[in-house]
Amino acid sequence: MPPLLSAIGLTKRYGATTALADATFTVNEGVTGLLGPNGAGKSTAIKLFLGLIRPSSGSVEVLGEKPYESVESRARLGYMPEHEALPHNVTASEFLMHMAQVSGLPPAHARTRAADILRHVGLDEERYRRIGEYSSGMRQRVKLAQALVHDPVLVLLDEPTAGLDPGGREEMLDLITRTGHDFGISIMLSTHLMGDIERSADRVVVLENGRVAQVGAVSGFTQETETLLLEIDDKHDEVTAALKAMGIDAVRQGAVLAVEGADDAKLDAMRDVLAQTGARLRRLAPRRGTLADIFRDAS
Amino acid sequence: MTGARGQEAQGEVFDLGYQRYDGPREGRSRARKAMYWDGVRTVLGIGRGGRAKALPVLMFIAAMFPAVVFVIILSFAGEAADFLPGPGDYYDIISLMLFIFGAIMAPELLSPDRKDRVLDLYLVRPITSTDYVFARVLAFFTVVLALVYSGQIVLQVGLILTAADPLDFIKDNWLDIPKFMAAGVLVAAFITVVPMAVAAFTTRRAYASAFIIGLFMISWVTTNILTERQCNVEARTVDGRITFEESACKPITGDAAKWISLLNVRAIPLRASDLVFDRVETDAEPSVIASRDLHDSIPIAAYGAYTLIPIGLLWWQYRRTRI
Repeated sequence: MPPLLSAIGLTKRYGATTALADATFTVNEGVTGLLGPNGAGKSTAIKLFLGLIRPSSGSVEVLGEKPYESVESRARLGYMPEHEALPHNVTASEFLMHMAQVSGLPPAHARTRAADILRHVGLDEERYRRIGEYSSGMRQRVKLAQALVHDPVLVLLDEPTAGLDPGGREEMLDLITRTGHDFGISIMLSTHLMGDIERSADRVVVLENGRVAQVGAVSGFTQETETLLLEIDDKHDEVTAALKAMGIDAVRQGAVLAVEGADDAKLDAMRDVLAQTGARLRRLAPRRGTLADIFRDAS
Repeated sequence: MTGARGQEAQGEVFDLGYQRYDGPREGRSRARKAMYWDGVRTVLGIGRGGRAKALPVLMFIAAMFPAVVFVIILSFAGEAADFLPGPGDYYDIISLMLFIFGAIMAPELLSPDRKDRVLDLYLVRPITSTDYVFARVLAFFTVVLALVYSGQIVLQVGLILTAADPLDFIKDNWLDIPKFMAAGVLVAAFITVVPMAVAAFTTRRAYASAFIIGLFMISWVTTNILTERQCNVEARTVDGRITFEESACKPITGDAAKWISLLNVRAIPLRASDLVFDRVETDAEPSVIASRDLHDSIPIAAYGAYTLIPIGLLWWQYRRTRI
């Protein structure tokens, strides 16, 4: 199956500033994260994918077409912007019907789709209220709903959890995961929050200073490492010394002692030291990698 | 619930989950139509609150009100009421109301899309900024044209029904109908594009409305002051009595007055309408009288410039809009 989106040597320059440099990656079905700090080139990449700007060099294909050459190809794309982009004086139902029609759906179908999608994002009961009366979490859902109302193949979400409280953020990430995995609509999730990617995405494209820093499965970045973490409440120095006496180097990181190499002999030794010193154990587990490590390793 | 045989009817609700859409997709043509109809609905306040409907309703009433009054007078006074204005005068009578409508409703149609940034959601769909602008312009033009025609239709129907012989009246005056339709298109196009061009340059509706009304009023007052005619008064003695006679009436700005008259924004569409009706108002305002010194092609060219330049500006402003 051909990729939904492919960027080959994609570069965008604004005068002397290079916003995106020689980016090459593909996006397939599922949820793909586009991760990077502010100014990494995420917004430029999204504009290129939507065909709003032309690349300075290289090429991009979305759903098999060059987006800046074909307005019609946007009929199968969805986009949820980071910023507020909703009218205030119309109901969610009216707004979604209109947006479905602007995406090319006939009025009767647009009405049905608007009702369906509002149900899926949890705004069924509120659909006849004016959007201006909605909470920020509800408005964020309407923004997601307008991106989905025409049943796109691929949806580009720009910082979808921005401005949400922890509860709202969880609900939004749930919705994104459901959309990507249960609805069968592929998602590109652009964010600077690693937690959002770890929680929702299958794959990640990491951008840094306009360049692709990493591409791969999220699970590949978050798998278990060869470091054992021993978290104890007290007697850190005693335990460190006892481990040292057994030929094991432990590095203290706050309340945690980190030991390189996760073999059974070391686990047995650590158990014995704990029993011998009487230190109170809180956790003994292999360390998992995080997406933060990508940036730490790069710097 | 109990069924016909006394058995309890049972039902179960299934959540079918998310359903993919496999119906028709009509692409860009549907997108344009949707933008057009949404524009018409926005201007008329359909699907909006009561306050949004109030102004269009009031304006339609105001546009038809003079016609209703004339028809009532005609129905009582009959042919004796020949002093009443006719179809050729009607756009002049309602011009102030038309400009106010344009000044308020054009920003209402364009500004919120930019202020609320809904435009960003449109331009990532199968529609271009050019499609957007022309759909909105056409939508506003449709409503303004309906407003412009509404009073004329009432007047025409009233004139026919109150005539002594309606069939004879139609035979004698049928040309008024294509004339008011053609002149209505010219007036409506002007009322559409000038306020829309102004509204395209600000997200603040109030600023746009104030600017349009200011442009209309200031140009109206200033040009009429500058084209005011002054006459030399000469005293003569005739049969031993002194009489005063006016002679050599000229605008205070001399020959430049005819060109200054082209700056009267209000008069531009009305002059075009007068040319369609072949109407010469005897007690017209000074700038209109001054404009009669120009060849007919000049006011027509001015009308074209006043209409096409705003369209161009509007298009250019949206072409350079970036998300």
